[in-house]
Amino acid sequence: MNPDAEGTTYPYVPFVVEPARVAAFREVVGQADGVPPTFVTAAEFSVMPLVIADPNLGLDFAKVVHGSQEYVYERPLVEGETLTVRTRIGSIRERAGAGFLTLVTELRDADDALVCTARSLMVERA
Amino acid sequence: MNVGDELEPLTHVVTRADIRAYAEAGGDRNPLHLDDDVARAAGFDGVIAHGMFTMGHMASCVVAWAGAGAFVERISAQFRAPVRAGETIVAGGRVKAIDDDRVTVEAWVELARDGQTRDGQTRDDQTEWPVRKGEVVVRLAGPVGTGVDASG
Repeated sequence: MNPDAEGTTYPYVPFVVEPARVAAFREVVGQADGVPPTFVTAAEFSVMPLVIADPNLGLDFAKVVHGSQEYVYERPLVEGETLTVRTRIGSIRERAGAGFLTLVTELRDADDALVCTARSLMVERA
Repeated sequence: MNVGDELEPLTHVVTRADIRAYAEAGGDRNPLHLDDDVARAAGFDGVIAHGMFTMGHMASCVVAWAGAGAFVERISAQFRAPVRAGETIVAGGRVKAIDDDRVTVEAWVELARDGQTRDGQTRDDQTEWPVRKGEVVVRLAGPVGTGVDASG
C-alpha cells in the first residue's frame, strides 16, 4: 500500500437500508428483529470496490483480513431509509511487512445528520 | 441487574453455507472466505469466516439480552484469530458498568473445540481464548432494575 494515500476521500455512495437485506443479515447473524448493529458493514462494503480499485492505494484485497471494527451510533438505522456513505482513509501503517489500513466511514441521512461512524482496521498480510 | 452479571451465551456451528450467506448479506465477497485455494495461498488451511460474521453473533447475544426497545450506541471488536468452517462459536458477555439506562457490556466470542486448542493440545476447559473481544454500550428501554432480567 502507498502510505501517501492516507487522507483519500472516496466518492459518496448512496445506501438503502433494504428490509429484505436486513432480514437476510438478521438470519445469518442470529438476531430476532430490528436492524442488527453490525449491519452498517453492508454500507461500508458498498464503497470497498472503490477502495480496492484505487490505483494510488494499491491494496491487495485477497491478502486482506479484518483486524478490528467499531460502530458509534447517533440513532438507530430505519428500515427503508436512504443514507449517504462517506469513506476516507484514516491511516496507513506498515509493520513486519504487513499493512494496516484504517477506513473511517460516516453514514448521513437526507438532512445531512450523522447517523453512524464506522472505523474499520484492515490488515494486508505479508 | 448487577455489574458482573453474565449474558446467556449464543452458540452457533459455522458452516460453509453460513459463510456464503454472510458474504451475500454483508457484501464482503473476498475470495479468502469463499475459495479454499485463495485461503491456502494466504496461509490458512481453508476458508475462514468473516470477522463480521462472528462480531454479528456477538452483537446478537447482547441485543437478545438487552430486550425490545434497546439502542446499541457503540459496539467494537478486535478480531484476534481466524474462525474456520465447521467450528463452533460461542458468543458471550458480562455487565461491566451500569449508568442509569446505559449499560456497558464486555463481550466476546470463543471457540468450543471439545477441549482441544488449535495445535491439538488438550485443555481443561471447553472453550478457547476469545477469538473476538469487544465492548458494547447499550441504552435499555427503561431504567435498570425495572423488569430487566439479567439472566436473559
